[in-house]
Amino acid sequence: MTTRYVLWQNLLRNPLRTILTAVAFALPMAIFVAAISLVSALIEMGKANERQLRLAVHHKTTIVNLLPEAVRRRVEGLDPQHQRLTAVCGMRWFGGKVPDTQNTLTSLAADPDTFPLVYSDADMTPDETAAWNRDRRACVLGFAIAERYRWKSGDRIVLVSTVPPYLQLEFYVAKVMTAKTQANYFYFRRDYLTESLKEALPGLADAASRCNIFWIKCNSAADLHSLQGEIDALFANTPDETKSEDENAFGANFTQAAGDIPGLMRAMAMVVVFVIALVAGNTMMMSFRERTRELAVFKAIGFQSRRVFFIVLAESLLLALLGSLLGVVPVSALLWFFPVRGLGFGPISALEISPFAVIGSLAMAMMIGLAAGLWPAYQAVRLRTVDALRRVA
Amino acid sequence: MTMALPLSYNWRNLFVRKTTTLLTVLVIAAVAGVLTWMWGFAGALRRSLAVAGDPHTLIIIKNGATSESNSAVSIEDYNKLSQLSDIAHDAAGEILQSPEMMVQVSLPRVRDQGRTFANVAVRGVTFAAFKVHRNVRPLGAVFGTGVPEVIVGQAAAQQFDIKIGDTLSLGYGGDRGYKVVGLFSADGGPLESEIWGYLPALMNSYNRTMYSSANLLLTPGTDPQHTVEQIKGPAIQLTAIPEPEYWQSQAAFIRVYLRIAYALVGIMGVAAIFSIANTMFSSVAGRTREIAMLRTIGFGGRQILLGFLIEAVFLALMGGALGCLGCAAWLRFVGSTKDMFGATTFTTLAFQIRLTPMIIAGALLAVSAVGMLGALFPARRAARVQVVAALREP
Repeated sequence: MTTRYVLWQNLLRNPLRTILTAVAFALPMAIFVAAISLVSALIEMGKANERQLRLAVHHKTTIVNLLPEAVRRRVEGLDPQHQRLTAVCGMRWFGGKVPDTQNTLTSLAADPDTFPLVYSDADMTPDETAAWNRDRRACVLGFAIAERYRWKSGDRIVLVSTVPPYLQLEFYVAKVMTAKTQANYFYFRRDYLTESLKEALPGLADAASRCNIFWIKCNSAADLHSLQGEIDALFANTPDETKSEDENAFGANFTQAAGDIPGLMRAMAMVVVFVIALVAGNTMMMSFRERTRELAVFKAIGFQSRRVFFIVLAESLLLALLGSLLGVVPVSALLWFFPVRGLGFGPISALEISPFAVIGSLAMAMMIGLAAGLWPAYQAVRLRTVDALRRVA
Repeated sequence: MTMALPLSYNWRNLFVRKTTTLLTVLVIAAVAGVLTWMWGFAGALRRSLAVAGDPHTLIIIKNGATSESNSAVSIEDYNKLSQLSDIAHDAAGEILQSPEMMVQVSLPRVRDQGRTFANVAVRGVTFAAFKVHRNVRPLGAVFGTGVPEVIVGQAAAQQFDIKIGDTLSLGYGGDRGYKVVGLFSADGGPLESEIWGYLPALMNSYNRTMYSSANLLLTPGTDPQHTVEQIKGPAIQLTAIPEPEYWQSQAAFIRVYLRIAYALVGIMGVAAIFSIANTMFSSVAGRTREIAMLRTIGFGGRQILLGFLIEAVFLALMGGALGCLGCAAWLRFVGSTKDMFGATTFTTLAFQIRLTPMIIAGALLAVSAVGMLGALFPARRAARVQVVAALREP
């Protein structure tokens, strides 16, 4: 009688329980792997943003208030030799949408000269940069937007702004960005916007050239932190006080405002681990109780304690493996082929499965299996053969 | 007529296998806890938006704007509205038309200790606003007209820790100190997440020459759609949206959030059904002889079936009660506030999540259903125990 045979028979002797446990284990597991995928995507995105070393400078009162264009020159003046900062890119919210549709795109007008430098993650080729520099109507958009509206490089498109004076502008698609961090962004040239605004609002030249935010590409994390303090100090006690934040801190404000779905997923992942542990623990307890006599028989016919311990523990691990595969594999396959798009606005464009999440989920399941099996296995070792044989289940 | 099994039999059975019962109860408690939180949140949202549900209040914004935040209505355009025939009048004969300006201020959230900032709506109003927005009630003092003062909605005051006597830095440059002189309630509606000040003062502080919107109250009995069409027409050319429609459209993000949340709770509910089934099957298997005994002394299969169903419902109710308690403790000690952007306002709607008796009753009902579903097949198996064979079992 091999150990493998015993294990197999144990799982099959009560197939109903094995199935019920596996399903009760698999469903929360499915949630877990999806939640961890989202959380790990966020961590990845945070790291990618960190690598970009971009500092956001916006109005202290609120990002809605516009800062004068001159902020760029004054910030550049802090480091004329460009030892700490690579470039400064002013941006203004356009909030464009495709005429007669509902969704406002995250569309911003950016300083044309510095955009390719500051947004190196847009990954523009020399040809694309040339196109961006050549055509005043050039725009650069993320792949998620391109997919949603079926736009491709070279297309001519029209957006209408949702902020006064509600300009309708035509654009030429110079590039579809493939970086995940830029999936839902749309950038175009700010000189085009400023001129269009001046035409629409004659006499408001200053207002037309103002920006909501200035992105500063820094040379190192230390430079980013020192500039953060210096910039805010530079504009302190002026009519346009600033607040500087790194890209992740800036983004966190919006993640919270969109209801903090990552927070929901994290909380869910914790609840789910709790539920899985209970389900597994419960099954192992029940299974052990029903088989006390049998385990005693094993011991009576000469099975070593170590082997009995192993048999009980291995059953728990096997069950956990079965349940987790049942939950993780279908969800992973589904999300692999059909990533969920449109999670509202926020940094994540799509819920995709991550290999890290799959491995992490399976590891978590094994740990729970181990924990659930330990106590009954210990009990099995401690079992006093004579008593147990006499006990009536 | 056979006698029903006494309830105490079912109740006490649960304590024969304490660990298994406890583990199952905890599974149900986890699901019930999450469910009650979701319902609390959904309820807060529904309550808030239902309050802003007066179809005779119209919000008028510029064509092309998607909300008051990105709308600019010139004073000239605003004045054209007074020709509308269906606007209500107050006792003094004044038309109930309110010019309003919407700006934002960035304030630290209490719930994450100020790590992130929310964009809070600041609304410049005249005293007409209190007549047009009928559910807005100042609690105490109101802002003066000659001094920089504001009043703060209760929800905003709570979530962004604003107290009477505080000074808020408003104005385009954030350099005008406005003193908080009072709070206001809006029956829990979305306006309670805002800060209100005197329109001319705020327009000056923000260098504005235009209003953001006009709010109108229509005479009861008139057709709001008629006025909406009139405002759209060539003479005025603005966009009018009835208040309920406006605020419902702002809840788009929140609905996405709730859909995800409900899907997750649903999946966990199914897992709980399987978990209960597992426990009950084991309970039936362990009690085969006992069931046979009950049958022998005259209890029918139906009574046995019912007995196990009741047992599962007891189990589920214990879990449900524990879950509700857990949720209440969470709301009490960890936090019960949540705020989210409106879909287009770019300002935050603040909620207070509360457990109402309805939610608790609903959660207990839901877990009872989960318990029954889980116990159905085990109970059927129990009812079909072959008496003679079972009595012979070890």
